[in-house]
Amino acid sequence: MDLLQFARGPALTWALAIFAFGMTWRLAGILLLKRRPDYSEPRNATSWPGALKLIISRSWPRREFIQRTAFGQALGYIFHIGLAIVVFGFAPHILFFRGLTGLDWPNLPNAIIYLSGAITLGALIVVLGRRLIHPVLRLLSNFDDYFSWFVTFAPVATGMLAVAHLGARYETLLAIHILSVALLLVWFPFGKLMHAALVFVSRGSTGALFERKGASI
Amino acid sequence: MNEPDILGASLARSGISRRSFLKFCTAMASLMALPPSAAYAMADALKRAQRQSVIWLSFQECTGCVESLTRSFDPTLEQLIFEMISLDYQETLQAASGEAAESARKQAMKASYGKYLLIVDGSIPTKDGGVYSTVAGVSNHDLLVEAAKGAAAIVAVGTCSSFGGIPHANPNPTGAVSVSDIIKDKPIMNVPGCPPIPSVIAGVLAYFITYGKLPELDNLNRPKVFFADTIHDRCYRRPFYDQGKFAKTFDDEGARNGWCLYELGCKGPTTYNACATIKWNGGVSFPIESGHGCLGCSEPNFWDKGSFYKPLPVPLADNTPIITAAALGGIAVGTAAAVISRKHQTSISEEK
Amino acid sequence: MSTADIDSAHPLELNQPRFSVKKPEPRYDKQGDMPDAQRVETAMRYFVKDFGAVAATYMESCIHCGMCAEACHFYIATENPKYTPIWKLEPFKQAYKREAGPFAAIYRALNLKKKVTVEQLEEWQELLYDSCTLCGRCTLICPMGIDIAALVGLARHGMNQAGLVPHELWAVAERAEREGSPLGATPKVFKERCEWLADDNEVEIFVDKAQADVVAAMSSIEIMKYPGSIVATSKILNHLGLNWTFRSDGYEATNFGMLSGNSAWQREASMKLINATIAAGAKLLILPECGHAYGAMRWQGANIYGKPLPFRVLHISEFLAENTKSGALKTKPLSKTMTFHDPCQVSRRGGAIEAPREVIDGLGAELIEMQDTKGLNWCCGGGGGVVTIHRADHIRYQAFQIKMKQIDNTGAEMLVSSCSNCRQTFDDGQDHFHWDKTMLSLLDLVADNLEDK
Repeated sequence: MDLLQFARGPALTWALAIFAFGMTWRLAGILLLKRRPDYSEPRNATSWPGALKLIISRSWPRREFIQRTAFGQALGYIFHIGLAIVVFGFAPHILFFRGLTGLDWPNLPNAIIYLSGAITLGALIVVLGRRLIHPVLRLLSNFDDYFSWFVTFAPVATGMLAVAHLGARYETLLAIHILSVALLLVWFPFGKLMHAALVFVSRGSTGALFERKGASI
Repeated sequence: MNEPDILGASLARSGISRRSFLKFCTAMASLMALPPSAAYAMADALKRAQRQSVIWLSFQECTGCVESLTRSFDPTLEQLIFEMISLDYQETLQAASGEAAESARKQAMKASYGKYLLIVDGSIPTKDGGVYSTVAGVSNHDLLVEAAKGAAAIVAVGTCSSFGGIPHANPNPTGAVSVSDIIKDKPIMNVPGCPPIPSVIAGVLAYFITYGKLPELDNLNRPKVFFADTIHDRCYRRPFYDQGKFAKTFDDEGARNGWCLYELGCKGPTTYNACATIKWNGGVSFPIESGHGCLGCSEPNFWDKGSFYKPLPVPLADNTPIITAAALGGIAVGTAAAVISRKHQTSISEEK
Repeated sequence: MSTADIDSAHPLELNQPRFSVKKPEPRYDKQGDMPDAQRVETAMRYFVKDFGAVAATYMESCIHCGMCAEACHFYIATENPKYTPIWKLEPFKQAYKREAGPFAAIYRALNLKKKVTVEQLEEWQELLYDSCTLCGRCTLICPMGIDIAALVGLARHGMNQAGLVPHELWAVAERAEREGSPLGATPKVFKERCEWLADDNEVEIFVDKAQADVVAAMSSIEIMKYPGSIVATSKILNHLGLNWTFRSDGYEATNFGMLSGNSAWQREASMKLINATIAAGAKLLILPECGHAYGAMRWQGANIYGKPLPFRVLHISEFLAENTKSGALKTKPLSKTMTFHDPCQVSRRGGAIEAPREVIDGLGAELIEMQDTKGLNWCCGGGGGVVTIHRADHIRYQAFQIKMKQIDNTGAEMLVSSCSNCRQTFDDGQDHFHWDKTMLSLLDLVADNLEDK
């Protein structure tokens, strides 16, 4: 079995299994904790619109905060959108998802993918630099932050190397790329990358609770 | 065979003109990306060279490699190859059979000991004492070991002798292995392909005769000149890949437009061979040009890398059952964790 | 520690602009004399005791983006990263991950998350109490929508049980538990005050009516420092012709049990008010101009009671707005410009955002909004019990400068709010900075401008 076969075969199988296991484990472990009924008289009887509102509106910075958060948020936007374009727009990635889910959608031209990939890589490097320099971020950061950064950065970097055929033979680069994705999948449910799923739960919870009170969301 | 068997004399005997010989040399030199002057050097060297003694052993194989070579489109190529060499043993092509054939081999091995080139096609069964393929009662394994002793170099022609090939495919009932799995102390060149491109075989032979050594090899011992690039890198459909234009089925608009076959499982990106440049049938076409994706036949284990029609990024196994099982397992463990936490909290509340 | 010790060691300054303990040295406060190991053990247990699915979701969602710092007046005023809101929860998070999260078993088995240490808890005492007003501005900036303020409130439960509350806050909470009011406004004091206020102001103040439709509550800050609120409330309720009363068995709306993190004390304070309202057979409980009292009763009261309350709960500003809109409350036009300081717990976190504006509109005053207003208003810096904590003064003053600038920028003639805790913070700030703005009470303003009948 060569490296690529290992990557496409057992490595991905295990990674996907651990991913699925970890995701449901963590979600069940959180969501099945106690929930107390709220007997207070609601200001707004239906609270789900608040959940929806916060899920959507929190993606955009408020006027009151934007001056202080513009740089960080712009960075976040750049690499999240860049990642989305690369992950969901590149034909081979769509094939990967199609292989898993049966879903299919049109791909983007590779030139756009390569450009997005390069921008994303640049943004991620700045993100790391900022985390190391900014006093607040440096204080908050722990292993999870740096390792999550690494497992996000690695697939983008190895993917770019693979399409550029830099550093090793293509099948080796491809195998390393797939292995880096496997690493990402394995880490995903256990670290902060889980926010990709929890952001909806968290925003939704606050949105619903606050809508009930008529509080600011 | 008393007078020295030089190639020049042999060519003259066969009525091959100097012009067509030079043409062959030029073609070979350019194929192998040698400098233009190399064609003359090659012609000169080849002419004066003693015809290279070659022993060709066929093991677990389908004769496709020999067919590829002997049925090559260009009649002079085949002819020339056989003029360049003194093919002292080749089961399919030789007239002799039985005891006579075996004694011809032994004689050649003795006469050119240390100098002959050993060509092998087919893989070597190792299970059950190698009973799955024998010649004159001798197992392929023993035959190879014996022949390799006096060989100057070994050329493994075809994917079977290079990497095990189809006999090696899962579950590999005969324990088939490649030449390099058995022989460790000789220079071995792999010329994989199922079959290999005829001009590639001719080219590397010409190189060996001209320079007396094997050309530069890659990590899988393949001649770099022919196996440096992937099919994908050299594919005329590559621009469509870059533009993100793909055939989704074999009969859709994309397929008719000649778009990239990546999504139909083409293994071009991970296959190193010269198909896209030298092409087949005298340079007429190659599989992708005919509308079918590359199977990756010149790569190790090509038969075991999932369906030929499964695109490269798709995981090899069907992971749905294991993902489902893992997700259910996660729910169970997560629920247990939540229940334990709740009990823990209740016990704290009650302790007061 | 007996309560006598506290009174002698840290006498409460009831006649000063603020009520607090006299000049404490910089220190980590500890209550009781349990050994450190037991403190840690207790804190760990009470950190995780009240963890529900929502709090757990919050804990798990943080991406350490640091944006919450940019919403916090204490961080912005000091630029000290330790005041980053989510950082204030670090030991709490550690306890959660180790004891209650989905991977708790693994964290414990491999000791990946260590137990918190007593040093850590001492250090975090300042972060969880001195530098968090529970104002919840950070909740609005968090890209994950984490309600950080609610988590700080939960974390205080563990600190309280471990006896790690800043001493002044603990002392007022303890006194509230013991005397029924944190600042000495015992039922007896309250009744006496009502009596002489009624005499002085020639207003009828009902106390302990057996039956009333409306029960009004007060904050001890008002009773002791701004007794005008008692008069104003009475005037307005009389003006509206309502059958109302104060109850000496339930008048104190502040809840220092909640602020200090003592759930039992919180429950007791809330139940007094609930039971008094039920005893009067009232259909409405009016909460005074106090921020956290609103959160404690309006949103947590029913949950402490265990079922829906048999009466409505309104903040005084909501009550005034209702009656302004209905036309029952008639005021003389007040042609002044004013700006309104939103009390965090009433506006941002309580949802009564428009009510005070409707009242101001009814007064005929021109409201000049501050630049960041309503839900995004800047906290005065004194909420969450912070104003009681002496050693927090320096950062509170730093944060208060944001507020002053914000108000000065409006150019409004009057400064109004509807929270007596904000008001005493403003008074203290005004005093400290010799500022020319005085915080007024919306309630007083309405009472002073009632149309004569």
